[in-house]
Amino acid sequence: MGLRKVAVVGAGMTQFVRRAQETPKELAFKATRAALDSCELSIQDIDAICLGTAPDTFDGIHMNGEYLSDGVGALGKPYIRSYVGGGTGVFVPIQGWYHVASGLFDLVLVVAEEKMSSYYPHPQGAFLTIFDHTTERPLKPNLLWIFALEMNRYMATYGISKEDIAQVSVLHKRNAADHPAALLGDKKITVQDVLNSEVLAWPVQRLDVSPVSDGAVAIVLAAEHVARRITDKPIWIEGVGWSLDTAYWTNRDLAYPRYVEVAAKMAYEMAGIKEPRKEIHIAEPYDPFDYKALHHLEGLQLADRGKAIELYLNGSAKRDGNLPICPSGGLLGVGNPIAAAGLMKIAELFWQLRGEADGRQIPGSPQKGIAQAWGDLMQVGTVVIMGK
Amino acid sequence: MYPFHHPFDRPVHYEGLFPVTNRYTYGIASEKFFRALKEEGIILGTHCPHCDKLYVPGTIFCETCLSELEDWRAVDNVGRVDTFTVLYKNLDGTYRTEPEIVAFIRLGDGGLVHRLAEIDPKSVLIGMQVAAVFKPPEERTGNILDIRYFKPV
Repeated sequence: MGLRKVAVVGAGMTQFVRRAQETPKELAFKATRAALDSCELSIQDIDAICLGTAPDTFDGIHMNGEYLSDGVGALGKPYIRSYVGGGTGVFVPIQGWYHVASGLFDLVLVVAEEKMSSYYPHPQGAFLTIFDHTTERPLKPNLLWIFALEMNRYMATYGISKEDIAQVSVLHKRNAADHPAALLGDKKITVQDVLNSEVLAWPVQRLDVSPVSDGAVAIVLAAEHVARRITDKPIWIEGVGWSLDTAYWTNRDLAYPRYVEVAAKMAYEMAGIKEPRKEIHIAEPYDPFDYKALHHLEGLQLADRGKAIELYLNGSAKRDGNLPICPSGGLLGVGNPIAAAGLMKIAELFWQLRGEADGRQIPGSPQKGIAQAWGDLMQVGTVVIMGK
Repeated sequence: MYPFHHPFDRPVHYEGLFPVTNRYTYGIASEKFFRALKEEGIILGTHCPHCDKLYVPGTIFCETCLSELEDWRAVDNVGRVDTFTVLYKNLDGTYRTEPEIVAFIRLGDGGLVHRLAEIDPKSVLIGMQVAAVFKPPEERTGNILDIRYFKPV
Protein backbone atom coordinates (compact mmCIF):
# COMPACT_ATOMS: atom_id res chain seq x y z
CA MET A 1 0.00 0.00 0.00
CA GLY A 2 3.04 2.25 0.11
CA LEU A 3 2.61 2.94 3.81
CA ARG A 4 5.58 3.92 5.95
CA LYS A 5 6.51 2.07 9.13
CA VAL A 6 5.41 3.87 12.28
CA ALA A 7 6.86 3.45 15.77
CA VAL A 8 5.81 4.49 19.23
CA VAL A 9 8.86 6.21 20.75
CA GLY A 10 7.51 7.72 23.96
CA ALA A 11 4.61 7.53 26.39
CA GLY A 12 3.38 9.25 29.52
CA MET A 13 0.28 9.42 31.65
CA THR A 14 -1.27 11.07 34.68
CA GLN A 15 -2.59 9.25 37.69
CA PHE A 16 -6.13 7.95 37.11
CA VAL A 17 -8.28 9.31 39.95
CA ARG A 18 -11.94 9.66 40.87
CA ARG A 19 -11.84 13.45 40.86
CA ALA A 20 -8.81 15.37 39.72
CA GLN A 21 -8.06 18.88 40.92
CA GLU A 22 -6.64 19.66 37.47
CA THR A 23 -8.79 21.06 34.69
CA PRO A 24 -9.14 18.84 31.60
CA LYS A 25 -6.56 21.05 29.89
CA GLU A 26 -4.11 20.70 32.78
CA LEU A 27 -4.52 16.91 32.76
CA ALA A 28 -3.84 16.83 29.01
CA PHE A 29 -0.77 19.05 29.50
CA LYS A 30 0.69 16.81 32.21
CA ALA A 31 0.36 13.67 30.08
CA THR A 32 1.77 15.47 27.04
CA ARG A 33 4.74 16.81 28.99
CA ALA A 34 5.47 13.33 30.39
CA ALA A 35 5.33 11.72 26.93
CA LEU A 36 7.64 14.34 25.39
CA ASP A 37 10.07 14.08 28.31
CA SER A 38 10.12 10.27 28.03
CA CYS A 39 11.74 10.55 24.60
CA GLU A 40 13.55 13.86 25.19
CA LEU A 41 11.62 15.79 22.56
CA SER A 42 10.26 19.31 22.73
CA ILE A 43 6.94 20.43 21.31
CA GLN A 44 8.80 22.20 18.50
CA ASP A 45 9.89 18.77 17.21
CA ILE A 46 6.28 17.64 16.77
CA ASP A 47 4.72 18.02 13.30
CA ALA A 48 1.04 17.37 14.09
CA ILE A 49 -1.23 16.42 16.95
CA CYS A 50 -4.13 13.98 17.26
CA LEU A 51 -6.35 14.33 20.29
CA GLY A 52 -9.00 11.94 21.55
CA THR A 53 -11.69 12.75 24.07
CA ALA A 54 -15.17 11.29 24.53
CA PRO A 55 -18.41 13.29 24.62
CA ASP A 56 -18.01 17.00 25.40
CA THR A 57 -20.54 16.49 28.17
CA PHE A 58 -18.00 14.70 30.43
CA ASP A 59 -15.55 17.57 30.61
CA GLY A 60 -18.56 19.88 30.44
CA ILE A 61 -17.09 22.02 27.68
CA HIS A 62 -18.59 22.25 24.24
CA MET A 63 -15.91 22.09 21.51
CA ASN A 64 -13.74 20.27 24.02
CA GLY A 65 -11.14 19.32 21.42
CA GLU A 66 -10.54 22.98 20.68
CA TYR A 67 -10.51 23.89 24.38
CA LEU A 68 -7.84 21.23 25.06
CA SER A 69 -5.66 22.20 22.10
CA ASP A 70 -3.26 24.58 23.85
CA GLY A 71 -2.69 22.07 26.66
CA VAL A 72 -1.32 19.58 24.15
CA GLY A 73 0.85 22.09 22.32
CA ALA A 74 -1.32 22.36 19.20
CA LEU A 75 -0.67 26.09 18.76
CA GLY A 76 0.23 26.69 15.12
CA LYS A 77 0.21 22.99 14.19
CA PRO A 78 -2.08 20.70 12.21
CA TYR A 79 -4.47 19.39 14.84
CA ILE A 80 -7.50 17.12 14.85
CA ARG A 81 -9.75 15.70 17.52
CA SER A 82 -11.40 12.34 17.02
CA TYR A 83 -14.27 10.82 18.92
CA VAL A 84 -15.66 7.33 18.53
CA GLY A 85 -17.09 7.01 22.03
CA GLY A 86 -15.35 4.44 24.22
CA GLY A 87 -13.37 3.28 21.20
CA THR A 88 -11.59 6.66 21.02
CA GLY A 89 -8.52 5.70 23.06
CA VAL A 90 -7.51 3.01 20.58
CA PHE A 91 -8.78 4.95 17.56
CA VAL A 92 -6.74 8.10 18.17
CA PRO A 93 -3.41 6.21 17.86
CA ILE A 94 -4.77 4.76 14.61
CA GLN A 95 -5.44 8.28 13.43
CA GLY A 96 -1.92 9.27 14.50
CA TRP A 97 -0.59 6.20 12.70
CA TYR A 98 -2.09 7.20 9.35
CA HIS A 99 -0.83 10.75 9.78
CA VAL A 100 2.69 9.25 9.81
CA ALA A 101 2.20 6.14 7.62
CA SER A 102 0.83 8.33 4.84
CA GLY A 103 4.10 10.25 4.64
CA LEU A 104 2.49 13.53 5.62
CA PHE A 105 4.21 13.90 9.02
CA ASP A 106 7.30 12.41 10.69
CA LEU A 107 6.51 13.04 14.34
CA VAL A 108 2.97 13.04 15.70
CA LEU A 109 1.81 13.47 19.27
CA VAL A 110 -1.28 11.48 20.28
CA VAL A 111 -3.15 12.51 23.44
CA ALA A 112 -6.31 11.19 25.07
CA GLU A 113 -8.01 12.95 27.97
CA GLU A 114 -11.16 12.56 30.01
CA LYS A 115 -12.48 14.32 33.06
CA MET A 116 -15.67 12.47 33.85
CA SER A 117 -16.07 13.94 37.32
CA SER A 118 -17.23 17.30 35.97
CA TYR A 119 -20.53 15.77 34.96
CA TYR A 120 -22.73 16.04 37.98
CA PRO A 121 -24.20 14.19 39.79
CA HIS A 122 -22.92 11.25 37.70
CA PRO A 123 -21.46 10.95 34.17
CA GLN A 124 -23.97 8.19 33.49
CA GLY A 125 -26.26 11.12 32.76
CA ALA A 126 -24.39 11.73 29.51
CA PHE A 127 -25.76 8.43 28.24
CA LEU A 128 -29.41 9.02 29.04
CA THR A 129 -29.83 10.78 25.71
CA ILE A 130 -28.06 8.27 23.44
CA PHE A 131 -31.13 6.08 23.10
CA ASP A 132 -33.95 6.40 20.61
CA HIS A 133 -36.15 9.18 21.90
CA THR A 134 -39.45 7.53 21.09
CA THR A 135 -38.98 3.76 21.36
CA GLU A 136 -36.54 3.60 24.28
CA ARG A 137 -36.16 6.79 26.28
CA PRO A 138 -39.61 6.64 27.87
CA LEU A 139 -38.29 3.51 29.67
CA LYS A 140 -35.33 5.56 31.01
CA PRO A 141 -32.57 3.15 29.92
CA ASN A 142 -28.96 3.68 30.98
CA LEU A 143 -25.74 1.89 30.10
CA LEU A 144 -25.81 -0.40 33.15
CA TRP A 145 -29.16 -1.68 32.00
CA ILE A 146 -27.94 -2.33 28.49
CA PHE A 147 -24.83 -4.16 29.63
CA ALA A 148 -26.81 -6.18 32.13
CA LEU A 149 -29.02 -7.32 29.24
CA GLU A 150 -25.96 -8.13 27.13
CA MET A 151 -24.13 -9.89 29.97
CA ASN A 152 -27.15 -12.05 30.70
CA ARG A 153 -27.45 -12.97 27.04
CA TYR A 154 -23.74 -13.87 26.93
CA MET A 155 -23.95 -15.98 30.10
CA ALA A 156 -27.09 -17.79 28.92
CA THR A 157 -25.79 -18.48 25.41
CA TYR A 158 -22.65 -20.23 26.63
CA GLY A 159 -23.64 -21.35 30.12
CA ILE A 160 -21.09 -19.20 31.95
CA SER A 161 -21.52 -18.50 35.66
CA LYS A 162 -21.22 -15.23 37.57
CA GLU A 163 -18.58 -16.87 39.78
CA ASP A 164 -16.40 -17.54 36.75
CA ILE A 165 -16.87 -14.06 35.27
CA ALA A 166 -15.87 -12.52 38.61
CA GLN A 167 -12.39 -14.03 38.06
CA VAL A 168 -11.84 -11.41 35.37
CA SER A 169 -12.46 -8.54 37.75
CA VAL A 170 -10.27 -10.17 40.40
CA LEU A 171 -7.29 -10.67 38.07
CA HIS A 172 -7.46 -7.17 36.59
CA LYS A 173 -7.83 -5.40 39.95
CA ARG A 174 -4.98 -7.47 41.40
CA ASN A 175 -2.80 -6.60 38.39
CA ALA A 176 -3.63 -2.93 38.87
CA ALA A 177 -2.12 -3.02 42.36
CA ASP A 178 1.26 -2.95 40.55
CA HIS A 179 0.36 0.07 38.40
CA PRO A 180 1.54 3.37 39.90
CA ALA A 181 -1.29 5.30 38.20
CA ALA A 182 -4.11 2.95 39.21
CA LEU A 183 -7.31 3.95 40.96
CA LEU A 184 -8.68 0.56 42.04
CA GLY A 185 -5.72 -1.79 42.41
CA ASP A 186 -6.35 -4.40 45.11
CA LYS A 187 -4.01 -7.33 45.73
CA LYS A 188 -6.39 -8.98 48.17
CA ILE A 189 -9.68 -8.87 46.25
CA THR A 190 -11.51 -12.20 45.92
CA VAL A 191 -14.32 -13.66 43.82
CA GLN A 192 -16.47 -13.51 46.93
CA ASP A 193 -15.91 -9.74 47.19
CA VAL A 194 -17.22 -9.32 43.64
CA LEU A 195 -20.23 -11.55 44.29
CA ASN A 196 -20.98 -9.73 47.54
CA SER A 197 -20.85 -6.24 46.01
CA GLU A 198 -24.13 -4.42 45.52
CA VAL A 199 -26.31 -5.44 42.60
CA LEU A 200 -26.74 -2.52 40.22
CA ALA A 201 -28.74 -4.16 37.45
CA TRP A 202 -28.64 -7.94 37.66
CA PRO A 203 -26.34 -9.65 36.71
CA VAL A 204 -24.10 -6.56 36.91
CA GLN A 205 -22.74 -5.84 40.39
CA ARG A 206 -20.60 -2.95 41.58
CA LEU A 207 -17.28 -4.79 41.23
CA ASP A 208 -18.15 -6.09 37.75
CA VAL A 209 -17.85 -2.47 36.53
CA SER A 210 -14.90 -0.12 35.99
CA PRO A 211 -14.88 3.15 37.96
CA VAL A 212 -15.70 6.66 36.78
CA SER A 213 -12.29 8.37 36.48
CA ASP A 214 -10.29 11.41 35.45
CA GLY A 215 -6.98 11.12 33.62
CA ALA A 216 -4.91 11.62 30.48
CA VAL A 217 -2.38 9.63 28.46
CA ALA A 218 -0.05 10.66 25.62
CA ILE A 219 2.25 8.84 23.21
CA VAL A 220 4.66 9.99 20.52
CA LEU A 221 4.64 8.37 17.06
CA ALA A 222 7.56 8.57 14.63
CA ALA A 223 8.32 7.56 11.07
CA GLU A 224 10.98 4.83 10.84
CA HIS A 225 13.96 7.02 9.95
CA VAL A 226 13.14 9.44 12.77
CA ALA A 227 12.30 6.72 15.28
CA ARG A 228 15.73 5.17 14.89
CA ARG A 229 17.37 8.49 15.74
CA ILE A 230 15.25 8.91 18.86
CA THR A 231 15.46 5.47 20.43
CA ASP A 232 17.12 2.07 20.03
CA LYS A 233 13.91 0.45 21.28
CA PRO A 234 11.14 1.58 18.91
CA ILE A 235 7.88 -0.33 19.24
CA TRP A 236 6.20 -0.67 15.87
CA ILE A 237 2.53 -0.30 15.10
CA GLU A 238 2.19 -3.38 12.90
CA GLY A 239 -1.52 -3.53 12.31
CA VAL A 240 -4.61 -1.39 12.84
CA GLY A 241 -8.29 -2.06 12.32
CA TRP A 242 -11.62 -0.50 13.06
CA SER A 243 -15.18 -1.34 12.20
CA LEU A 244 -18.72 -0.27 12.91
CA ASP A 245 -21.67 -2.53 13.65
CA THR A 246 -25.32 -1.51 13.27
CA ALA A 247 -26.26 1.69 15.07
CA TYR A 248 -29.26 0.00 16.59
CA TRP A 249 -28.10 -2.27 19.39
CA THR A 250 -31.08 -4.61 19.27
CA ASN A 251 -30.18 -5.55 15.68
CA ARG A 252 -26.97 -7.13 16.97
CA ASP A 253 -25.93 -10.57 18.18
CA LEU A 254 -25.46 -9.62 21.84
CA ALA A 255 -23.46 -12.78 22.62
CA TYR A 256 -20.71 -12.05 20.10
CA PRO A 257 -19.01 -8.76 19.14
CA ARG A 258 -18.87 -8.90 15.36
CA TYR A 259 -17.48 -5.32 15.28
CA VAL A 260 -14.37 -6.53 17.13
CA GLU A 261 -13.94 -9.52 14.81
CA VAL A 262 -13.96 -7.36 11.68
CA ALA A 263 -11.55 -4.82 13.18
CA ALA A 264 -9.23 -7.57 14.46
CA LYS A 265 -9.14 -9.35 11.11
CA MET A 266 -8.19 -6.10 9.40
CA ALA A 267 -5.37 -5.59 11.89
CA TYR A 268 -4.13 -9.20 11.74
CA GLU A 269 -3.99 -9.11 7.97
CA MET A 270 -1.98 -5.88 8.01
CA ALA A 271 0.38 -7.31 10.62
CA GLY A 272 0.74 -10.60 8.72
CA ILE A 273 -0.57 -12.54 11.69
CA LYS A 274 -2.11 -15.88 10.71
CA GLU A 275 -2.36 -17.57 14.09
CA PRO A 276 -3.16 -14.90 16.67
CA ARG A 277 -3.34 -17.35 19.57
CA LYS A 278 0.32 -18.26 18.98
CA GLU A 279 1.66 -14.95 17.71
CA ILE A 280 0.09 -12.53 20.19
CA HIS A 281 1.92 -12.52 23.52
CA ILE A 282 -0.03 -9.84 25.41
CA ALA A 283 -3.67 -8.86 25.11
CA GLU A 284 -5.24 -5.68 26.40
CA PRO A 285 -8.92 -6.19 25.50
CA TYR A 286 -11.35 -3.44 26.49
CA ASP A 287 -12.74 -4.28 29.92
CA PRO A 288 -15.19 -1.66 31.20
CA PHE A 289 -17.18 -4.65 32.52
CA ASP A 290 -15.63 -8.01 33.41
CA TYR A 291 -17.75 -10.01 30.94
CA LYS A 292 -16.75 -7.52 28.23
CA ALA A 293 -13.10 -8.63 28.41
CA LEU A 294 -14.29 -12.17 27.62
CA HIS A 295 -16.60 -10.98 24.87
CA HIS A 296 -13.78 -9.01 23.29
CA LEU A 297 -11.16 -11.79 23.59
CA GLU A 298 -13.53 -13.94 21.53
CA GLY A 299 -14.03 -11.17 18.98
CA LEU A 300 -10.23 -10.83 18.80
CA GLN A 301 -10.12 -14.56 17.91
CA LEU A 302 -7.95 -15.23 20.96
CA ALA A 303 -10.52 -17.74 22.27
CA ASP A 304 -13.39 -19.75 20.81
CA ARG A 305 -16.87 -18.38 21.39
CA GLY A 306 -17.90 -18.83 25.00
CA LYS A 307 -14.43 -20.13 25.91
CA ALA A 308 -12.47 -16.99 26.85
CA ILE A 309 -13.22 -17.65 30.50
CA GLU A 310 -10.98 -20.73 30.31
CA LEU A 311 -7.97 -18.45 29.88
CA TYR A 312 -8.73 -17.09 33.35
CA LEU A 313 -9.67 -20.44 34.91
CA ASN A 314 -6.52 -22.24 33.67
CA GLY A 315 -4.11 -19.43 34.56
CA SER A 316 -3.21 -18.42 30.98
CA ALA A 317 -4.41 -14.85 31.61
CA LYS A 318 -1.96 -14.20 34.46
CA ARG A 319 1.24 -12.27 33.82
CA ASP A 320 3.24 -15.51 33.82
CA GLY A 321 0.63 -17.40 31.80
CA ASN A 322 0.58 -18.27 28.11
CA LEU A 323 -1.49 -15.23 27.14
CA PRO A 324 -1.26 -12.47 29.74
CA ILE A 325 -4.46 -10.41 29.66
CA CYS A 326 -4.61 -6.82 30.87
CA PRO A 327 -1.26 -6.91 32.67
CA SER A 328 -1.84 -3.17 33.23
CA GLY A 329 -4.86 -3.87 35.39
CA GLY A 330 -7.22 -2.71 32.66
CA LEU A 331 -10.14 -0.38 33.04
CA LEU A 332 -11.46 -2.47 35.92
CA GLY A 333 -8.30 -1.79 37.94
CA VAL A 334 -6.38 1.19 36.58
CA GLY A 335 -9.58 3.12 35.92
CA ASN A 336 -11.77 4.22 33.06
CA PRO A 337 -11.36 7.85 32.01
CA ILE A 338 -12.94 6.88 28.70
CA ALA A 339 -10.59 7.97 25.91
CA ALA A 340 -7.54 7.95 28.19
CA ALA A 341 -8.28 4.37 29.28
CA GLY A 342 -7.93 3.05 25.73
CA LEU A 343 -4.67 4.91 25.13
CA MET A 344 -3.43 3.59 28.51
CA LYS A 345 -3.60 0.12 26.92
CA ILE A 346 -1.39 1.27 24.04
CA ALA A 347 1.06 2.80 26.53
CA GLU A 348 1.05 -0.48 28.47
CA LEU A 349 1.98 -2.49 25.36
CA PHE A 350 4.76 0.05 24.69
CA TRP A 351 6.19 -0.36 28.19
CA GLN A 352 5.73 -4.15 28.24
CA LEU A 353 7.39 -4.72 24.83
CA ARG A 354 10.31 -2.47 25.82
CA GLY A 355 10.72 -4.31 29.11
CA GLU A 356 9.95 -1.13 31.09
CA ALA A 357 6.79 -2.20 32.89
CA ASP A 358 8.53 -2.56 36.28
CA GLY A 359 6.40 -4.57 38.71
CA ARG A 360 3.93 -5.36 35.93
CA GLN A 361 6.54 -6.74 33.53
CA ILE A 362 5.63 -9.94 31.75
CA PRO A 363 8.48 -12.46 31.98
CA GLY A 364 10.37 -13.66 28.93
CA SER A 365 10.57 -11.35 25.98
CA PRO A 366 7.09 -10.70 24.60
CA GLN A 367 7.27 -9.84 20.89
CA LYS A 368 3.74 -8.77 19.99
CA GLY A 369 0.76 -7.34 21.77
CA ILE A 370 -2.80 -6.34 20.88
CA ALA A 371 -4.96 -3.58 22.35
CA GLN A 372 -8.63 -3.07 21.65
CA ALA A 373 -11.41 -0.71 22.61
CA TRP A 374 -15.09 -0.48 21.92
CA GLY A 375 -17.56 2.35 21.82
CA ASP A 376 -19.78 4.66 19.82
CA LEU A 377 -23.33 3.34 20.31
CA MET A 378 -21.81 0.11 21.68
CA GLN A 379 -20.98 -0.66 18.06
CA VAL A 380 -17.39 0.25 17.15
CA GLY A 381 -14.34 -1.98 17.48
CA THR A 382 -10.86 -0.43 17.38
CA VAL A 383 -7.72 -2.59 17.35
CA VAL A 384 -3.97 -1.93 17.34
CA ILE A 385 -1.22 -4.56 17.10
CA MET A 386 2.25 -3.58 18.29
CA GLY A 387 5.56 -5.41 18.05
CA LYS A 388 9.27 -5.09 18.68
CA MET B 1 -43.51 21.24 -5.54
CA TYR B 2 -42.82 20.53 -1.84
CA PRO B 3 -44.61 17.21 -1.35
CA PHE B 4 -43.69 16.75 2.31
CA HIS B 5 -43.95 20.32 3.47
CA HIS B 6 -47.30 21.65 4.59
CA PRO B 7 -46.67 25.11 6.02
CA PHE B 8 -49.77 25.13 8.19
CA ASP B 9 -49.34 21.63 9.69
CA ARG B 10 -47.01 20.98 12.56
CA PRO B 11 -45.14 17.67 12.51
CA VAL B 12 -46.24 15.32 15.26
CA HIS B 13 -43.66 15.59 17.99
CA TYR B 14 -42.45 14.02 21.18
CA GLU B 15 -41.09 16.01 24.11
CA GLY B 16 -37.87 15.11 25.87
CA LEU B 17 -35.15 16.61 28.00
CA PHE B 18 -31.41 16.79 27.40
CA PRO B 19 -30.28 17.72 30.91
CA VAL B 20 -26.63 18.52 31.64
CA THR B 21 -25.28 19.77 34.94
CA ASN B 22 -21.64 20.19 35.81
CA ARG B 23 -19.45 20.69 38.83
CA TYR B 24 -16.12 22.06 37.62
CA THR B 25 -12.89 22.10 39.58
CA TYR B 26 -11.07 25.40 39.35
CA GLY B 27 -7.89 23.55 38.37
CA ILE B 28 -4.33 24.04 39.58
CA ALA B 29 -3.81 27.45 37.98
CA SER B 30 -7.28 28.91 38.40
CA GLU B 31 -7.48 27.93 42.04
CA LYS B 32 -4.35 29.96 42.72
CA PHE B 33 -5.63 32.82 40.56
CA PHE B 34 -9.03 33.03 42.25
CA ARG B 35 -7.68 32.59 45.78
CA ALA B 36 -5.42 35.60 45.18
CA LEU B 37 -8.34 37.55 43.71
CA LYS B 38 -10.55 36.75 46.69
CA GLU B 39 -8.08 36.91 49.55
CA GLU B 40 -5.63 39.59 48.40
CA GLY B 41 -7.48 41.52 45.71
CA ILE B 42 -4.69 40.96 43.21
CA ILE B 43 -4.51 39.61 39.66
CA LEU B 44 -1.93 36.86 39.12
CA GLY B 45 -0.12 35.84 35.97
CA THR B 46 2.63 33.36 35.17
CA HIS B 47 5.80 34.17 33.27
CA CYS B 48 7.50 31.88 30.76
CA PRO B 49 11.26 32.48 30.95
CA HIS B 50 11.89 30.81 27.57
CA CYS B 51 9.32 32.78 25.58
CA ASP B 52 9.28 35.88 27.82
CA LYS B 53 5.49 35.85 27.88
CA LEU B 54 3.34 36.84 30.83
CA TYR B 55 0.11 34.80 30.85
CA VAL B 56 -2.84 36.52 32.53
CA PRO B 57 -4.72 34.76 34.07
CA GLY B 58 -1.80 32.55 35.06
CA THR B 59 -1.55 29.04 33.60
CA ILE B 60 0.65 26.09 34.58
CA PHE B 61 2.10 25.73 31.10
CA CYS B 62 3.32 27.89 28.23
CA GLU B 63 1.18 27.27 25.16
CA THR B 64 4.13 28.10 22.90
CA CYS B 65 6.95 25.94 24.27
CA LEU B 66 4.84 23.72 26.57
CA SER B 67 7.18 24.13 29.51
CA GLU B 68 5.78 24.06 33.02
CA LEU B 69 5.36 27.54 34.51
CA GLU B 70 6.14 28.26 38.15
CA ASP B 71 6.96 31.97 38.17
CA TRP B 72 3.73 33.53 39.50
CA ARG B 73 3.57 37.32 39.42
CA ALA B 74 1.00 39.86 40.52
CA VAL B 75 0.23 42.18 37.63
CA ASP B 76 -0.92 45.78 37.84
CA ASN B 77 -4.67 46.13 38.38
CA VAL B 78 -4.60 48.73 35.61
CA GLY B 79 -4.77 47.62 31.98
CA ARG B 80 -5.64 49.05 28.58
CA VAL B 81 -8.88 48.63 26.66
CA ASP B 82 -7.95 46.44 23.70
CA THR B 83 -11.47 46.45 22.30
CA PHE B 84 -15.03 46.87 23.58
CA THR B 85 -18.70 46.53 22.71
CA VAL B 86 -21.91 48.05 24.07
CA LEU B 87 -24.80 45.70 24.78
CA TYR B 88 -28.29 47.03 24.13
CA LYS B 89 -30.40 43.87 24.19
CA ASN B 90 -30.67 40.93 26.53
CA LEU B 91 -30.29 37.31 25.43
CA ASP B 92 -34.09 36.93 25.37
CA GLY B 93 -34.44 39.82 22.92
CA THR B 94 -35.74 42.39 25.41
CA TYR B 95 -34.10 45.81 25.60
CA ARG B 96 -31.78 46.60 28.48
CA THR B 97 -32.80 49.51 30.66
CA GLU B 98 -29.16 50.65 30.66
CA PRO B 99 -26.64 49.64 27.98
CA GLU B 100 -23.71 47.59 29.30
CA ILE B 101 -20.10 48.04 28.18
CA VAL B 102 -17.97 44.91 27.87
CA ALA B 103 -14.27 45.22 27.10
CA PHE B 104 -11.22 43.10 26.59
CA ILE B 105 -8.67 44.56 28.96
CA ARG B 106 -5.05 43.81 28.15
CA LEU B 107 -3.00 42.75 31.20
CA GLY B 108 0.52 41.39 30.61
CA ASP B 109 0.42 39.33 27.41
CA GLY B 110 -3.13 38.18 28.14
CA GLY B 111 -5.98 39.92 29.86
CA LEU B 112 -9.58 39.69 30.98
CA VAL B 113 -12.93 40.21 29.36
CA HIS B 114 -14.91 42.27 31.85
CA ARG B 115 -17.44 45.05 32.33
CA LEU B 116 -16.58 48.74 32.08
CA ALA B 117 -18.48 51.20 34.28
CA GLU B 118 -18.38 54.75 35.65
CA ILE B 119 -18.06 55.95 32.07
CA ASP B 120 -20.47 56.96 29.32
CA PRO B 121 -20.42 54.44 26.43
CA LYS B 122 -19.71 57.29 24.02
CA SER B 123 -16.54 58.21 25.92
CA VAL B 124 -14.88 54.78 25.82
CA LEU B 125 -11.70 54.76 23.76
CA ILE B 126 -9.61 51.86 22.60
CA GLY B 127 -6.27 52.15 24.34
CA MET B 128 -7.57 53.97 27.42
CA GLN B 129 -6.31 52.90 30.84
CA VAL B 130 -8.81 51.22 33.15
CA ALA B 131 -8.48 49.90 36.69
CA ALA B 132 -10.13 46.93 38.40
CA VAL B 133 -12.73 47.80 41.03
CA PHE B 134 -12.96 44.99 43.58
CA LYS B 135 -15.89 44.05 45.78
CA PRO B 136 -15.15 44.48 49.50
CA PRO B 137 -13.18 41.46 50.82
CA GLU B 138 -16.12 40.04 52.79
CA GLU B 139 -18.28 39.87 49.65
CA ARG B 140 -15.74 38.05 47.46
CA THR B 141 -16.38 34.40 46.68
CA GLY B 142 -13.56 33.41 44.33
CA ASN B 143 -15.39 34.39 41.17
CA ILE B 144 -14.47 36.61 38.23
CA LEU B 145 -17.24 38.94 39.46
CA ASP B 146 -15.18 39.58 42.62
CA ILE B 147 -13.95 42.29 40.29
CA ARG B 148 -17.09 44.36 39.98
CA TYR B 149 -15.95 46.12 36.85
CA PHE B 150 -13.10 48.17 35.42
CA LYS B 151 -13.27 51.97 35.44
CA PRO B 152 -11.24 54.71 33.80
CA VAL B 153 -8.08 55.72 35.66
